[in-house]
Amino acid sequence: MLKFLTNYIFGVLANLGEVINFILEVLGNVLRGKIRLAEILKQIYEQGLQSVGIVILVSLASGIVLALQGVVVLSRFGAKEYISSLVALSLVRELSPVFTALVFSGKAGARITAELGSMSVNDQVLATRTLGVNPIEYLVVPRMIGCFLVLPILTVISEVAGIFGGYLIGVYEANISGVFYINQTFKAIRFVDFYSGFSKVFFFSIIISWVCCFQGFKTKGGSLGVGKYTTQAVALSYIWVLVANAILTKIILSIWG
Amino acid sequence: MIEVKSVSKSFNGQVVLDNVSFNIKDGEIFIILGESGAGKSVLLKHLVGLIAPDKGKLFINGIDVGSLSERKLLDLRKTIGYLFQEAALYDFMNVYENLAFPLKEHTRLSKKQISEKIKSILQLVDLEGVENKFPSELSGGMKKRVGLARAIILDSRVLFCDEPTSGLDPIRSRDISDLIRDISRKLNCTTVITSHDIENSMRIADRVMIIKDGKIIALGKPKELEASTNSFVKEFVL
Ligand SMILES: Nc1ncnc2c1ncn2[C@@H]1O[C@H](COP(=O)(O)OP(=O)(O)O)[C@@H](O)[C@H]1O
Ligand SMILES: [Mg+2]
Repeated sequence: MLKFLTNYIFGVLANLGEVINFILEVLGNVLRGKIRLAEILKQIYEQGLQSVGIVILVSLASGIVLALQGVVVLSRFGAKEYISSLVALSLVRELSPVFTALVFSGKAGARITAELGSMSVNDQVLATRTLGVNPIEYLVVPRMIGCFLVLPILTVISEVAGIFGGYLIGVYEANISGVFYINQTFKAIRFVDFYSGFSKVFFFSIIISWVCCFQGFKTKGGSLGVGKYTTQAVALSYIWVLVANAILTKIILSIWG
Repeated sequence: MIEVKSVSKSFNGQVVLDNVSFNIKDGEIFIILGESGAGKSVLLKHLVGLIAPDKGKLFINGIDVGSLSERKLLDLRKTIGYLFQEAALYDFMNVYENLAFPLKEHTRLSKKQISEKIKSILQLVDLEGVENKFPSELSGGMKKRVGLARAIILDSRVLFCDEPTSGLDPIRSRDISDLIRDISRKLNCTTVITSHDIENSMRIADRVMIIKDGKIIALGKPKELEASTNSFVKEFVL
């Protein structure tokens, strides 16, 4: 029993060591300027293009639902005109960063793990090393940097789409004037609101790409393994994004309020 | 010259290599024979530092592979060609791009020189007109030829091939074995091949080593092994 427990703890620590070692190696490559621009552009294009549609759809739907509920709730206080503020602040401070990160995990994150995973099980990662090329530099760094650049852009797109969803309801359901709605939106969002949400996205992008690249590199066990590690990577990114969000929100609120 | 000195390796308590020692001479075709799971791939991976031994040392031209950092190992590997069992071509690149990759990474050749080099190397491995095909569109034998082309494209003088005939029919096995021998002779490569294909091994090898349960059972010229009285060797080579 004791032996089982020590083995378990030892296993967890060893895995943690690997995870940290992995990110240190990535950082080492970035700091040494081992950055492949062409590969990064390819990643931005692939990851961005793959996720942008569903991000817009999810955000639009969220904006619509927020506004629909907002109309009901705010009408009770006779404050229907504030829908635009409710929608914009909810999206910008919290929903867009988190939803975008979750959607992105399921699309681009899964793709990263599946790609790297199938390369691992087909010896392509080892082959990279036998060709004298560092696979972290060639395969991981561009994916992580791509993710770091794409997720913030997707978040802004999500915010715009969500606000547009709210606008549709505000104008066509609640009969608020369009100009007024837009004005209220811009008035409502202060810089702190935007940054308090937006700054979290950078952490999320690191978490997602770190988890998904690491799981891809660890993949073994043929095509079954690719499936297993991919779903595991997505689940882990969800968990860590949500945990990190709770912690970051607490920190950010205590700084900016 | 490749030297393997008292190398042992276990995975989770399972002994895969048990105090293995042997030398490979320059320019020699050296074949490691053994049943599936005997530890052939593990041994080959040790030689290029993809796996580190638990005990013992490996030297390639006097360089202690185990003492090198990963960055030094990457430099060493540029001078060694490695053909994987399933070729391990990048499946997101076509044949041309796969072959151009090491050249772009490690040489200053112009586009035109790269294209000429690829053309001549594809001729050498007897494959022409496949430049624009992706690995998924190639047969197993063709993939191995492209893998072989990629392994020698940086003019390596050391060539490692992991089961080059596995998964191929007898005729293609014979062809690829001959091809490896011809290329090895032509480029004067020190060539190490793992295999469980006895017939072709005996035909093309300068020396053959048989391993079983992590130990060396026999090592010698094909003729010597055929004359061996060891029962396992007999069973294996006859
Ligand atoms: N990375 C690894 N982790 C654990 N066990 C391994 C690993 N690589 C190989 N093995 C085990 O070592 C033994 C020899 O494998 P291998 O060298 O691939 O055999 P083969 O002679 O068929 O090439 C097998 O039992 C295999 O399961
Ligand atoms: Mg093998």
